[in-house]
Amino acid sequence: MKPTRFGPSLYGTNRFGMASSSPLHVAVIGTGIVGASAAHFLAAAGARVTLLDASGPAAGATGASDGAVSVASKRPGPMMDLARHARAFYVRCEQDGLFRGLFHRRSTFLVARTAIEADLVAQHGADLAAAGERVVEVDRAALLDRIPGLGASVCAALEIPDDGHALGYEITERLLATSRASIRRNAPVSEIVMRAGRACGVAVRNEFLPADAVLVAAGIGSAPLLGLGEILIPRKGQMAVTDRASVAGPAIDGHLMAASYLAAKRGIVRDNSHIGLVIDPLMTGQFLIGGSREDHRSDHSTDAATIAAILREALDLYPPLAARRVLRSFAGVRTASRDGLPIVGLHPHYAGVVIATGFEGDGICLGPFMGANAARLLLGERPEADLSALSPQRFARVEAHA
Amino acid sequence: MTSHFFWNGGPVAFRSGETIAAALLRAGITDLGRPSATPGGRVFCGIGACQGCVIAVAGAAPVEACLTPAREGLRLGPLPAIGAEHA
Amino acid sequence: MREAPILVVGAGPAGASAAATIAEAGLPVLLIEQRDQLGGAIHRQPAAGNEEHVWRPARHRRNWAALTARLQASAERIEIRTETIFLGVDSEGRFLFDDRHEACVFARRPRAAIIAVGAIETIRPFPGWELPGVMTAGGAQVLLKETGRPPEGPILLAGGGPLLPALAAQLAKAGNPPVAVLERGRPWNAPAALARLALSWAPMSEAAAYAAALAASRVPYRCGAVVTQAEPDGDGLKVSIRVGETQEPLLVRHLLIHDGIAPNRTGIPLPDPDGAVPILLAGDGREALGADAAILDGRRAAMQVLARLGHAERGAPSDERGLQRARDFQATLARALQAEPIVPPPETLICRCEGRSHADLAALAPDASAREIRLMGRFGLGACQGRFCGPMIAALRGQPLPTASPPRWPLRPVSVAALARLTIDETE
Repeated sequence: MKPTRFGPSLYGTNRFGMASSSPLHVAVIGTGIVGASAAHFLAAAGARVTLLDASGPAAGATGASDGAVSVASKRPGPMMDLARHARAFYVRCEQDGLFRGLFHRRSTFLVARTAIEADLVAQHGADLAAAGERVVEVDRAALLDRIPGLGASVCAALEIPDDGHALGYEITERLLATSRASIRRNAPVSEIVMRAGRACGVAVRNEFLPADAVLVAAGIGSAPLLGLGEILIPRKGQMAVTDRASVAGPAIDGHLMAASYLAAKRGIVRDNSHIGLVIDPLMTGQFLIGGSREDHRSDHSTDAATIAAILREALDLYPPLAARRVLRSFAGVRTASRDGLPIVGLHPHYAGVVIATGFEGDGICLGPFMGANAARLLLGERPEADLSALSPQRFARVEAHA
Repeated sequence: MTSHFFWNGGPVAFRSGETIAAALLRAGITDLGRPSATPGGRVFCGIGACQGCVIAVAGAAPVEACLTPAREGLRLGPLPAIGAEHA
Repeated sequence: MREAPILVVGAGPAGASAAATIAEAGLPVLLIEQRDQLGGAIHRQPAAGNEEHVWRPARHRRNWAALTARLQASAERIEIRTETIFLGVDSEGRFLFDDRHEACVFARRPRAAIIAVGAIETIRPFPGWELPGVMTAGGAQVLLKETGRPPEGPILLAGGGPLLPALAAQLAKAGNPPVAVLERGRPWNAPAALARLALSWAPMSEAAAYAAALAASRVPYRCGAVVTQAEPDGDGLKVSIRVGETQEPLLVRHLLIHDGIAPNRTGIPLPDPDGAVPILLAGDGREALGADAAILDGRRAAMQVLARLGHAERGAPSDERGLQRARDFQATLARALQAEPIVPPPETLICRCEGRSHADLAALAPDASAREIRLMGRFGLGACQGRFCGPMIAALRGQPLPTASPPRWPLRPVSVAALARLTIDETE
C-alpha cells in the first residue's frame, strides 16, 4: 500500500462520530517530524489540518538529533520490530518520491573495543538476526578497509547493511512543503478544550481554535497538556558537529555506533553521565558526534567537560577526527516514557485525542511511520502495524492500580 | 628571509612573526581553493572572524591563515583535506 | 589558593586599557589575545624584520606606546595568554579558551570578565563579493601593517566610510596607490553634517592628511559610486561599477570592500554587569566608536568592575564626555555618508560558508524561526557562525537574525583534539 493513500471513510461517519459534509479538521500540536508526518498524511487524505508549534517546525528534538534511521540500535522486542516497519516506510517514501534525495541507505557498524563490549555486540547481533535483520560480521582488517583510520582499540564489529540516514529537519520540511496543512508558528497550545468528554478544539494563549480532533505530538511539551508529568521524562543529549572532512557526501562509509550506545539502549547502564557514542557522517561531509544521556534535564545548554568527554571517546574510536574542528555544540531533549517505549494511540479518556510522543532517541527513525499511523487513527483506520505495545492505555491501567 | 612553509607542496617564504596569510599574499596566492559547491577559500576579514582563510594543516586541525604565525616546514593546503591522508 | 583574576578578552586598545586599569588598582588580570602580539587590529605591529611601518597619525602610535608602558609597569599582576582564542562560556559558567600554541582548550573561572573583541566590518553583498581577491579593507589594512608592503597589482577600494580614504593613503604611501576609491555616500549632499564634522579637530586633521596623500598620488575619490558585480578575470577581477546612471567595468587584482563597522557580538556572552560573575563589554565590541574611544571605554568597563568588587576608590573616574563626543562624531559621520540600501540580485551569495544565496533567503517563510533559518535555510550554520551573513540577513529581512539564547560555545571553531584535551582548573 502506498503511504499517501488512505481508505475512503473520511467523508462518511468517522470514528469521532461526526457525520460530516465538511472535511475533518485536525489540530496537530507539535511540528516535529511526527506532527509533520501526521499532518502530511491527514491532508493527503482530505482532512483540514492546522499545525501549531510553540516555536516552529523542527524546533525540538527533530532539529537536534543525529540522522540515524537505524534498526541496529533498537531494543529487542516491539521497538526492533516497529523500527523495521518504520525504516521500510522510509524506503517506500523514497521510492515514491516523497523523501527523494533525503533518505539514503547506509550501513550501521556496531563496534566493540573490549571483550565485554564484543559479547554485548554479538548478543545484540543475534537479537537483530532473530528479528529478521541482515547482520554481517566484519573482522578488523575488513573494517579498516571500509573505514580507514579506525582506532586501534576496535576489536569486533557487526555491519547492519540495511540501515539508512535522513535528517529530521529535512524530512520535516519536505513533509510540510508537500502538504496543504497550515502552520502556525509561535503558537503555544495551553489546553485541549473538551466538551462532553470529546475534544472540540485547543486554546492558544487567549484564542480558541475549534477542531474535530487533536493530535498531541509535542515531545516533552505533551506532558503538561496531557497530565503526563509523571510518565514523560526529558533526557538531554549533548552533541558536537564538525567541519567538513570531505567535499561532498559522507566522509566515511557508515554510521559508527559504539557498544556503549547499545548498552544504554538495552538499559544496561543507568548512569546520568553516561555517553552512548555515535559518529554520524553527514551528507555534507561533516560529522555529528554524540551524545550524553542526562535524565530530567530539559535545557539546551552544553558543558565543556561533557563535550570533551564525548570527543575523547570519539577520537579513541576514530582518530582521524583529530584533523577536524568542532563548529558547534548543542543539546537536544529527547522525550522518554517511564517504561522506555513510545506512547502512540487514542487517549484513554479523552475522545478525539490521539497521542504520539515519547520516542526518546528514536524519533527520526520512527517519526514518519508513526505520524502516518497517528493519521490513520485519527481517520478511524487500523494502523499499518501492531501498535498495542505503545498504547497510552498501559499507563491508564497503572494509574488505576496505584 | 630563509624560512619556508609548503602550500600545495610548493615552498612559500616568510619572515619570522608573519602570519601564513601575509606570506601567501606576498607570494601572489589569493585563491586558497576549495573544490566544492561552496566558494573558494580566501583571506577576507583578516581578524579570524569570517573563516574564509581556513586552510588544512597536515597532521592537525585546520587553522585561520590570517591569525596563525607561519612556522618552518608547515605543510598546508586547501580545505577539505583529510588529515589522515596527509599524516 | 590563587586569587581568581579579572578576565579581559582582547588586547586591542579597549582590552589593554581595561587590563592596565585593573592591574593598577592591584587586582590580578588574565589578558587573552588571539594573535601572537598585543595591539588588536588597529595596533597590529610589523613582523620582525618588516621594518617599514605603515604611515598613520602619530596620535595612534603615542596611544599604543602609553598603553604598552602601563601594561609593562603592572606586568606582575597581568597574566598574558597570546595565540589564545576565547570560545565562550559553557553551561557551568566556565570561560573557555583555545590555546593554539599548546593545542589544548583550558577553562577558567574569573571573578569578572571584560570582553573587548572589537568590531566586525559590515559588508553590503553584491554578486562576486565571495571571490578570492576580494578582501575587507580592514583585513587588507591589518596585513599591510604586518608586512609593511601593499599587495601587488591594481587595487580598488569600494563601499563607504572613513576607512577607505585612510587605507588608500596608506597604500599610496607604501608604494601602490589604489586605482580609485568608491564612496557609496554623497557627503556633499549633507552639508550640515559635513559642517559638524569639521568641528572635530583630531579626526578631521587626520582626514585632511589622508586627502592630501590621495591628491599627491592622484587617486580618484568618487562619491555616489558602487560596485555592482565582480567576476573572475584571469588572475584578477572584472569589477562593474555604477556611478549615477552609468555602468563601467574596471580590471583589478584586488577589490577591498568596507561599509563601516559594527560590534562583534556573535556568540559573545550577553553583558551581565550585576551577575555573580559580572560580564561587561568594552570598546568597539560594545559600541563601534573607534580606537580613541575604545581606550576610554576600556577604562570605563574596568572602573565598573572595580566598583562592583568594592574597589571604586582605586581608579580615576571614566571619561563619559569623551565617549559622548565620539558617539556624536560617529552619528554625524553616518549622516554624512548615508546611502540607500541596494537590494542585491537573487543570485548574490549571502552565506559564504554554506554557499547560500539571496534567493535561498527569500524562499524562507517571513516568520521563520531561528531554527528554520539555520537548519532549513542553512544560514548562520557555517564556520563563521553567522558573523558575516547575520548582519546581511538582518538588513535584508528588516529584522535581526534570531540567535541562540544563551549564546552557544564554541564561538569560534575549535580543534577536536584540542577540546578533547580540555583542562579544567576547578580550584579557583
